[in-house]
Formats: sequence, C-alpha cells, structure tokens
Amino acid sequence: MTAEAGTPGPPAPSAHPVTGLDDVVHQRVRLGILTIAHEARRVEFGYLRTQLELTGGNLSKHLSVLEEAGLIAVEKGYEGRRGRTWITLTPAGSRALAEEVGRLKLLIARVETTGAQEDR
Amino acid sequence: MTTDSVPVGGDPRRLLSDVRALAYRVRLDQRVTWVALLVLAAVTLAAIPIDWVSLDADCGRVFAAGGTECHVRRLGLAFYWPPALLLAYTAIAVYAVRVARVRGLGARVMPYVLTGAALTVLSATAWLLVRVYLDSHPPFTLPYWGLVLDRLIGPAGTIGVALLVLAWLERHPALLVFTLGYLAVVLVPIDFGLHPQWGYLTDFLAPQIVNGAVLLLGAVGFAVARRRHR
Repeated sequence: MTAEAGTPGPPAPSAHPVTGLDDVVHQRVRLGILTIAHEARRVEFGYLRTQLELTGGNLSKHLSVLEEAGLIAVEKGYEGRRGRTWITLTPAGSRALAEEVGRLKLLIARVETTGAQEDR
Repeated sequence: MTTDSVPVGGDPRRLLSDVRALAYRVRLDQRVTWVALLVLAAVTLAAIPIDWVSLDADCGRVFAAGGTECHVRRLGLAFYWPPALLLAYTAIAVYAVRVARVRGLGARVMPYVLTGAALTVLSATAWLLVRVYLDSHPPFTLPYWGLVLDRLIGPAGTIGVALLVLAWLERHPALLVFTLGYLAVVLVPIDFGLHPQWGYLTDFLAPQIVNGAVLLLGAVGFAVARRRHR
C-alpha cells in the first residue's frame, strides 16, 4: 500500500465521514502507535509495547502494516550492547493521523446530530 | 440502531478518548518542568552575591554635575548572567534529551532552550546598548512602562518568557499559571515587605531573593506533583 493509499483525501462535505476512514489508520492499536509517535517525535519499541499493552510480536505486525503504508519510519540501532528500535512518524503519517482525528470528530458530531433528531 | 452504525475500529468516542489519553501520557513522560525550574532557581540565587560584589555605583560624577540620581551599573548582567543562563539552558537540554531517551521517547524541549538562549543574548545586548547610551548621557528616571520593560528584558524577565514557551511545548496549564504568577512577581515587583536597610546598593536584593524563592518553590511543587502522579 502506498502512502497516498494510506492517506485518502478528506471526504466531500456531503459524504458520510465513515466513507473516508482508512482501515490502516482506523484501528485502535495502529491509531495509538501514530498518536504516540506524533507526540513523542521519536519513540522506542519498548515504550510502545508498554503503553499499548501488547506482545512484541503483535506490535511488530502493526508496525509492519504502518511502515508498508509509508506512515512511519523504523530505525534499528544499538545502545551499548542493547538493540533498540526507534519509530518516527513520516509526513504522510502526520497527515493521516490528523485526517483520522478529524473524521472521528465529524463522525461523533454526525451521530449526536442524528440522535438528537431521532429524540424529537 | 441509527443509520450511523459504529465503524469496525470501535466506538469513535472511545477511539478519540484513547488518542487524547495516550497523547497526555507521552507529554507527562517528556516533562522536565521541575528540573528546569530548579536549575533556573539555582542560577538566580547564585547571582545574589555576584550581583552585589559586581555592583558599580558612580555617584560622585553625577552629584558633581548637579544631578540627584546615582549611575548604578550591575556588571553581573554582562559577566555573570549571560554565561550562567546559557549554561543552564544547555544543562536543561542535555538532561531532557537523556531522560527522554532513557524513557524511550524523543525530547520536545529544544524550542524552549533555543528561545531561552536567544532571549539571554538579546537581554545582554540590550544591557550593553543602554550602558553605552548612559555613559554619554546624564542619568534619568525611567517612566513606569520603562521600568516594566527593563524588568521584562532583564534576566528574570527572560526566564519567565522562556518558561511560557515551555508551558506551551509541554501543554502544561499548571506551568502556564505558575509562569504568569512568576512574571507578575518579576514585573510588578512584589517584595513581600522585605526592605533591607543596607543602602541603595541592596535595592535589587529583595526582588532577586523573591524571584529565586518562587522558582525554587515551583521546582519543589512540580517535583512533588510528579511523584504523586506516578
């Protein structure tokens, strides 16, 4: 999947927000990874594993999906004898996160509006 | 069930709430507030004896010329504060980067450090220009707004302005409130009734003790709050 495929443009004003949701980003763990990487600028594998309460293997799978979509960059290195893996958000990843958060807010607003109309 | 069914990723409210909670957690782990305040308090308090010793008052020349205001130079503003503050900001940056790295995060303190360093250089340059001007002009009393501006571009004022940047970077409302209080103390200034009668050369003493004490109390307060939060 390309970075463009991972970051579709914003939906047309009349379109339902769900139609613009990207499966790569719209997944709880992957959204968490993008959020942490965005706030942290750079985040280590172990920190992600602890915060998201995942096993190493599970986290690796999600990281591979995001890396293939061009949303994150993975850098492996050593600190002393200890191997460390650092994850950074790419510009496409930043855009994808912002769009996902925007769509979630739109979706919540849409659900609340529909709910209010049904209550009448 | 409404036409707006919940998407496969989960309840959007819960997803958004998770995003906010994770972002907040990361910011908490990146914060170095109490260390920054402690370092700046140490620099401020260590400046007291240095400012006192390096104070240069030229009253004779002024009185001989019929003037009533002494020409006082705080040489520490040129020789102590700029290197001390630059060193302090470097120490804060090194600490922040190391701590963040150990925790497995990137640091977000660099804009604060760069702002602090730039303001320090600006403050020292302003002091130098004012000295050059005063050396060739008779002393005069500054209007109130001039005094406020003088305090704002002084070392204590630049510490406060840089702390505003830190509060924004760390998205830290408590630090913002603390910094606004600190800036009020610096700019007004509040001396809490401390008026040592040791001559005009000690006029700076009470505000400087108060500024240092406020920073120190802030450091202790934020350290305690952090410990409780963990």
